[in-house]
Amino acid sequence: MENIYYPRQATLKNIKEETPNIKTYQFKLDKKLKFKAGQFMQLTVPGVGEAPFTPSSAPGEVSEMEITIMKTGKVTDKLHDGAEVGDTLALRGPFGKGYPMDKFEGKEVLVVGGGVGLAPLRSLIYALFDKIEKVKKVHVCYGAKSPLDQCFKDEYKKWESKKKVSVNLTIDKPHPEWKGNVGLVTCLLEKDYLKKRGVDISNSYAVSCGPEVMLKFVTFKLLDVGFKPEQIYLSMNRRMSCGVGKCARCNIGPYYLCKDGPDMCYADIKDYPNVFG
Amino acid sequence: MTNEVCRITYKMISDSNHKIAIKKDKEMKICFLGESKLKDLMGILLRYGRVFASTETEVASNRSSESRIFIRELNKEYLTGYRVPGFRAFDNFKSFVLPARSKVADYPDAKWIDVKEGKDKKILVGFKACDLASFAILDKVFLDDADFVDPFYKNRRGSLILVSSDCTYSSDSCFCNLMGNYPYPEKGFDINLSEVKGGYLIEGGSDVGNKIIEELSLPDAKENQIIERDKKRKKVLEKLQKRNSEFVGAFSRPDSLASKVFDSDKGWDLGSTCVSCSACTNVCPVCYCFTLFDREGKKKEQYKRYMIWDSCQFKGFSQMAGGMNPRFSQMDQFKNRFYHKFFRFYERYNVYKCTGCGRCIDNCLGGIDMRAVLSGAESSAKVK
Repeated sequence: MENIYYPRQATLKNIKEETPNIKTYQFKLDKKLKFKAGQFMQLTVPGVGEAPFTPSSAPGEVSEMEITIMKTGKVTDKLHDGAEVGDTLALRGPFGKGYPMDKFEGKEVLVVGGGVGLAPLRSLIYALFDKIEKVKKVHVCYGAKSPLDQCFKDEYKKWESKKKVSVNLTIDKPHPEWKGNVGLVTCLLEKDYLKKRGVDISNSYAVSCGPEVMLKFVTFKLLDVGFKPEQIYLSMNRRMSCGVGKCARCNIGPYYLCKDGPDMCYADIKDYPNVFG
Repeated sequence: MTNEVCRITYKMISDSNHKIAIKKDKEMKICFLGESKLKDLMGILLRYGRVFASTETEVASNRSSESRIFIRELNKEYLTGYRVPGFRAFDNFKSFVLPARSKVADYPDAKWIDVKEGKDKKILVGFKACDLASFAILDKVFLDDADFVDPFYKNRRGSLILVSSDCTYSSDSCFCNLMGNYPYPEKGFDINLSEVKGGYLIEGGSDVGNKIIEELSLPDAKENQIIERDKKRKKVLEKLQKRNSEFVGAFSRPDSLASKVFDSDKGWDLGSTCVSCSACTNVCPVCYCFTLFDREGKKKEQYKRYMIWDSCQFKGFSQMAGGMNPRFSQMDQFKNRFYHKFFRFYERYNVYKCTGCGRCIDNCLGGIDMRAVLSGAESSAKVK
């Protein structure tokens, strides 16, 4: 019988500093695995514990994967402070359903990220690029605290150079080095701004990932400008332990985010308590 | 004839008010086990494996001494004088399938990638109908989920022989009748014992159970003994029904209630005395929420992973790194328990996550009665 709690070994191949408190870790897996954009892995720091992360690298059948992690708790502190290239960590997964890629065919996709929330969305962006001929347009909207806190800085130009893709960036407060938009990520979702970008709201899906307080206001803004709850997908990456729908802590209503999510359609969850905490 | 296991077709007893409707798919084997023969049954059970039985135990405190029912291991020395208690144990049998702490992996260690099937048997005696119902509920989560079966649960569950027994009395906190259960086991047991004059009626519910009963070479149960058993069952049930009559309305559809009033604070006033101690979830035979917990092993670069009980009554249960908590307030945590039991679980598995055993009521430091909370919720739903 398969032990669903056993983590498989993964070797740390490379560490890249994205921002002062966000790093991208590249893992070499002990055996190939197949994952879809949005599915998550349980990363074990041996002896310390486990935490759920969605890979930030391109999905598919892979023997290597990247996970972008912010330093913010017990497991991630240990990872940021102690992990070195060549270390052996462990992974369990992939878990969850992932993004509904089929639904995005023939549609415009608004990818709305905040802070380290761009990490799982990067995996989605790669998946969308992979079938770009089937997608109408991809609009990446990303908000960070400051230019120093932007993840994957060196990739924006490459993304933008692709056909049908627009990249829209904003930072929270004015900064001497920054000449672009200033304001929270919701300022990229104003009706006028979307109109300028030529977004056809009725033919779009919005996918968002970030802190829950951001998800809350992104959702309200999207509803405000005319999105229907069915057109909004939210990555609700809450505290999880088992990853297999048993330990019963990551629920919204009857849904377990680890099994039925973590990317939930807002229409499915909107009527349940504690959706945004 | 004595060597044959007798077959008696069960007769349905009904009266105008209550129906003791026991569905029997096939004919059941019912024999009579004299009181002196209970020792022999236990002797046979001990041959199968370790026996854990709910046992009347004297508990002395500086104020008084009372007898309480606890689960303890039965050795050969304790066999004489053992009687099957007529009421559920104070502690629950959950720990035999979900121990409070159990190792689920050594890592890295290839031996733990696959879990071998266990061979050792454990026999649980003095199981009540509510305990049997609890295993059926836990099975839904850990065994029947086609995507992920918990191999450790499967092993432990498969290693059990369940010897259940009828309740001969109930307590003020019992409400199994409100949850659709009866104070006597109907299915899911290997052997069931029903107390009658001079001994027990013994009934097999599985091949193992029937085999054990055959070994005892017992006489058939007489018709009047079966009538006696059914009368006793009916008496206990009627008392329960009478005691819980005021809550019947609230429990007719608790799932719709829980969802209706969840966002309002009406009806949840009783939760104000909750001190988040987690006694209710620990004594609950179906509260299974757990967390995985890692430790360094004795050897270098060897680590251990444990599964330990967790409780939704703790703030840390759903607290994330960074401080965000979707169930931040004590009231959110208090409500979550009801919401999980009567709404979430029902939506997912089509059964309530409550057996009505009443252990949470007995053990609550704040004196919170689940029935009262739900009927409070009911009256506020009516106001709405």
